[in-house]
Amino acid sequence: MTSIKYTGMAYKCADDMVMGTAIHPVSEGFGLKIGAGQVIPEINYAPRPGTEKEPEKLRREYVDYISTDVLNRCVTAGFPAVHLETEWVSQMNQEKLSAPVVAGQKAVCEKFHEEYGIACGVRQTIPDQREHDMGLRPGMDTVHSYPEKFFQCCDIACENGADNLSVESVGGKEFADYAVTQGDIVAFLYGVGYLGSIDMEYVWSEMVDVAKRNRTVPGGDTNCSGANVAMFMAGGLMDLDVQKTFSAITRAIAAGRTIVAWECGAQGPDKDCGYEGIICKSIAGKPTTQEGKNCQCAHCDLMGNLTAQICDCWSNESVEYHPEFGGTSVQCWLGPLGYETALMNTAIQTGNAKTLRDLYCITDMTRSPESYILAYNNAYEIGQAMVAEGNDYYLRTRAAALKAIEIVNRGYEKKELQLTVKQKETLDDCQKKIEALPTETDKFLEYCDKEFAGVVPNYNLKNYGL
Amino acid sequence: MIDYSKVDFSKILTRYDVKKQVVETPEQVAAKMMPKDPLMKAVAEAVLYKKLKDIMPAMQAAMAKNKPDTVINEGLVPGIEAVGTLYNDHVYYLPDMMVAAKVMEIGIKMAEKEMGGARETKATVIMHAAEGDPHDIGKNIAAAMMKAAGYNVIDMGRDVPVATVIAEVEKVKPLFFSGTALMTTTMSAFPAEAALLKEKNLNIPLMGCGGAVNREYATSYDLGIYSAKANQTALIAQKIIDGYDWKKINEEWDNIVGGA
Repeated sequence: MTSIKYTGMAYKCADDMVMGTAIHPVSEGFGLKIGAGQVIPEINYAPRPGTEKEPEKLRREYVDYISTDVLNRCVTAGFPAVHLETEWVSQMNQEKLSAPVVAGQKAVCEKFHEEYGIACGVRQTIPDQREHDMGLRPGMDTVHSYPEKFFQCCDIACENGADNLSVESVGGKEFADYAVTQGDIVAFLYGVGYLGSIDMEYVWSEMVDVAKRNRTVPGGDTNCSGANVAMFMAGGLMDLDVQKTFSAITRAIAAGRTIVAWECGAQGPDKDCGYEGIICKSIAGKPTTQEGKNCQCAHCDLMGNLTAQICDCWSNESVEYHPEFGGTSVQCWLGPLGYETALMNTAIQTGNAKTLRDLYCITDMTRSPESYILAYNNAYEIGQAMVAEGNDYYLRTRAAALKAIEIVNRGYEKKELQLTVKQKETLDDCQKKIEALPTETDKFLEYCDKEFAGVVPNYNLKNYGL
Repeated sequence: MIDYSKVDFSKILTRYDVKKQVVETPEQVAAKMMPKDPLMKAVAEAVLYKKLKDIMPAMQAAMAKNKPDTVINEGLVPGIEAVGTLYNDHVYYLPDMMVAAKVMEIGIKMAEKEMGGARETKATVIMHAAEGDPHDIGKNIAAAMMKAAGYNVIDMGRDVPVATVIAEVEKVKPLFFSGTALMTTTMSAFPAEAALLKEKNLNIPLMGCGGAVNREYATSYDLGIYSAKANQTALIAQKIIDGYDWKKINEEWDNIVGGA
């Protein structure tokens, strides 16, 4: 499988993008059509600690309790469609633990689809346990064999009935960790924008092949291990570990990495925590899952409404399974997802999707620099900057970063977006550093290799086949 | 997009980060904390202002006229303490803290080379990310902060098997050991580790930390204590040095971590 780079925009203008509709919709599972004119709630969950110790306990947790509870609540509340997401716990790299879960969830979906006509399917998100110090490519990790297990997990998921195959891959994570803690935007650009993209091309070429062989939809990825780390450490308004302008730039860079899955043939929807999916959708026209106000069980971000603006699935991120007053946790968190998507779908059906999109967007766009660059019109501009350099991983992520900086500065200058003194200083510092970088990829790589060898822990070009 | 030119955003949201920002400079806050001796001041300022290039000449100059352990205590330590104050006062951010800790580490290594051995530390602690868990950024931040606070840190890395952790704890007998976990199913390594320690009659606290871990869980088994943020770790460590056992740490946790 070869990767075909995006050098043009799927949408003619930002205003053409709406929630629930993608240019390339996806059909999966039992009657589920994603991006075909309807927003679908996507529920994600974690099993209780201890259930991973025995295969039967884990199967019961995921199948008899979680999946069944979710689908029963759909019936109770009248939700016509649902996408379930199982993010595999690390122990599920053993087939005896994962196979019964995947097959069992498929059977539960089939039963509810036959009985009630609910459109449903399960995204199986396999774990990427590869470690940079041990090696990212097969044959390198002689202790755990994590790269080999990664691809075995793809096989197990698809052969046992996964409707959608996804992952949160870790290529570039060694640089992301360093960059975020040291405030080094060039390290992020090199590690996530360039090396991370190379790793994405490698893993997604394989994943797409496995998925297609088994008639599973290859979904997508996220830069959870990079841009989300930056965003969560930048945190709420009074959290002070990482500057919010820094995290905004990492988000733009992350788009260059996340979209590689789609360039390799993945079809979407991409992963909920990939907030950069807004930019990716503007380029590729494939459906995106987003999360926001209805994922407060997992975290509080600064764009709870905004991320809904052009989503195709709407997620809760993840909730541990346990009882609540109103049912089990998955039922309680499915409720807000189901009702929010009902509102979105009402807007679509009444011809008001663009109005609702704009209201979602305006509510949060000035809440932080990161939400500002992800306002759909600004995200579209970042997409345009990326595709202008679409054939080159470095140049396109550099262009995305510079465009994000320009957008934040523009908002600040017209007094639409407020910045603290330190946020502005960090923005200017990042701009200075990125603008000073070579505009020839070879020279950039040479510069970074010299700059970061022996400095960034576990930096090893062999991890990227270089 | 619909017209929002007349929108009063103050009715929609409040940017508390802008409203409450600290505008003092590091120089203003740290001025009173710097040593008076010019040689020591140069060392302290290299740490405070994160001058990777300045620390080596500053250390060499200070050690030419002072014993290396004096330079640590009267130059490097005041520097990193000022950094801690700036961080707690929201003048400095995490990257400032991490780079300053790196500068300090260079200084410590130079002093130790001169001394012909390791400096005296407050205590040794062991840190790891739980078996099956590849997420270790929080552990790395806490390790850097603990080193800067004067502790010897044995960092076992991530995805460390329970038995390997316990073998190391049994061998080293640290002040405490910490485990981080971002997943609900990897944090179950902590009660397993605590149980093994109890079997061996080792009364060493196990600090549970990380995104998936909450206070209720981390203190639900014997030996378990909790730290919510990296900068709380040194505060708790000091209490263990003062003689608190894991039960007393848990009883007085709110007072110990205070506003940190």
